[in-house]
Amino acid sequence: MSTDQQDEQGDEDTLVNVADGVDHQVAMVMDLNKCIGCQTCTIACKSLWTEDGGSEYMYWNNVETKPGEGYPRGWEDSGGGWESSEHSDRSPGEIPDEEDYGRAWEFNHSEIMYEGSDEPLRPREGAEWGPNWDEDQGAGEYPNSYYFYLPRICNHCTHPSCVEACPRSALYKRQEDGIVLVDQERCRGYRYCVEGCPYKKVYYNTVSKKSEKCIFCYPRIEGEGPDGETFAPACAEECPPQLRLVGFLDDEEGPIHKLVNEYEVALPLHPEFRTQPNVYYIPPFAPGQHTEDGETVDIDRIPRQYLRDLFGDGVDQALDTIERERQRARQGEDSELMELLQDKNPAKQYRLEVFEDD
Amino acid sequence: MTDHRRTLTLTAVLAGLIVVSTVAAPMVSARPAHEIPVSEVSTADLAEPNADGWEEVPASDVPLSSAPSSVPNADDTSVETVDVQAARTDERLYVRLEWHDATRDMNANATREFADAAAVQFPTNTSSRPPIAMGGPDNQVNVWYWSGSTGTQELLAGGAGSTTPFQNPTVQANASHSGTGGNATWTVVYSRQLDAPSENRTDLRTDGDLDVAFAVWNGSNGERSGQKAVSEWHYYPFSGGPQGPPYETLLWTVAGIAIVAVVGVTSFGIYRTRGAE
Repeated sequence: MSTDQQDEQGDEDTLVNVADGVDHQVAMVMDLNKCIGCQTCTIACKSLWTEDGGSEYMYWNNVETKPGEGYPRGWEDSGGGWESSEHSDRSPGEIPDEEDYGRAWEFNHSEIMYEGSDEPLRPREGAEWGPNWDEDQGAGEYPNSYYFYLPRICNHCTHPSCVEACPRSALYKRQEDGIVLVDQERCRGYRYCVEGCPYKKVYYNTVSKKSEKCIFCYPRIEGEGPDGETFAPACAEECPPQLRLVGFLDDEEGPIHKLVNEYEVALPLHPEFRTQPNVYYIPPFAPGQHTEDGETVDIDRIPRQYLRDLFGDGVDQALDTIERERQRARQGEDSELMELLQDKNPAKQYRLEVFEDD
Repeated sequence: MTDHRRTLTLTAVLAGLIVVSTVAAPMVSARPAHEIPVSEVSTADLAEPNADGWEEVPASDVPLSSAPSSVPNADDTSVETVDVQAARTDERLYVRLEWHDATRDMNANATREFADAAAVQFPTNTSSRPPIAMGGPDNQVNVWYWSGSTGTQELLAGGAGSTTPFQNPTVQANASHSGTGGNATWTVVYSRQLDAPSENRTDLRTDGDLDVAFAVWNGSNGERSGQKAVSEWHYYPFSGGPQGPPYETLLWTVAGIAIVAVVGVTSFGIYRTRGAE
């Protein structure tokens, strides 16, 4: 993670690199060790933003099982992003089809509810794939099978290839906080953003014929709610285990900056796409492997290479750092890192008003 | 001597025929390159693609090629030519486009689905010719756009990426897809009143020639935005007389003179050779 950020020059006020023309950069850290796969974030997001016609298939926030195909199916191999860290040439990408996202199934509600059928409630036909079809499947053989959950939203990247892909500049990274938005007035539904995002986090609305995406709940962070209070994005606030930290990457007093830039334990997903995401993950720990006799041995249950493939080579150092600090805490020593990862004080977990006087 | 005279007569007749054909042929079809004729008609049975009125209106084959564009697959376009007809009444201009497209792509209801579309482009200000690719910031274009999924739109553009729909479109378009397989064609008829309905709209009652260009998208080939088959600038000769260099007439005149000269010199040579015997 340190590479891109430190190669490029930060602005005058901070050492943290934010995109050109952006004052501050919103960011999120998700601790994968806390995710229980309950999908409360998914539903919080869906019920707020994607319940209207044409957006049925969209999950701006989704939680997928890793290893697994993800949502949309096979998104990690669907292209997009940048050819090099020069950010001059984009990699071509593909638009996923309906089957890859998963169609909304039709169920036999009417037969059961109104026609007295005894058959079990089930999809009528064509239920062959959907989001979380491979939930909890994971990989590995008993007793050493493994999986973990990966919540995903738009990464509000520092070098968003979706923005670059749009020939009409309908997508833009807004100046005040780096949130990436689709101007619904400018969009003409060409879908170059959909194919250009390597995370497949821009979606085509089949009714409005325009593209849309996660807006980092900007009305909430702007205090547009009924009481004028500032709220973190719904996916973060509604999370039962409270695994998300929300704030600004360039808020050097905040936990996100410490986790990402100081301890370097929060890592971007697939840094090789070179869009420089602003959503970061604390990589997952798992118990060591078991022998057939049930004894724990010192072999990684989640293959380290798999984690490198997801989070880049920085994952080794990140896991080592966390392990070291854990050991310190176990021995009764102070560990700021462990405090940060366990902090439940919302005033620190969500730091969204630090730059309000700017 | 009889042979000699017969040869001379034959040569003279041949030369005469050649001269007549070279001069007469271009008289019929002489038209400067890039000119698209516009029929002046009184009745307006032209609004529908298959209206009888179009049978009397001459058609021009306009070649299309992939537009230069930075979008992915910009070189991959499938329509190579569009047949263009145009007619003008006292009130309206009608433009009819016809092109081959085996599939009728009317929807953009799925994530990978794109609709067929076609467009006619005019300079907003007819006094100068804007850059062909969506005009320029100081030299805008009006675009009459029809697509299977969105219907008709009237657009204003001042450079690639700046296309903006007019709020109250005044362009009408009717489309029809007929035939099957390789012979299947789209036909779209656009029309608009001659007077400019508002600011930033092309005045079609112009006395000068009216520049015009065409574009076609094949939806099932993923064509949209800058991935499109486009023409060069053409023009409707509203100024009356032929404008621009009449290349065809010039070429035929030069060719005619050359042929007459060759025949003359040859005959003279034969005559002298025979005379010397």
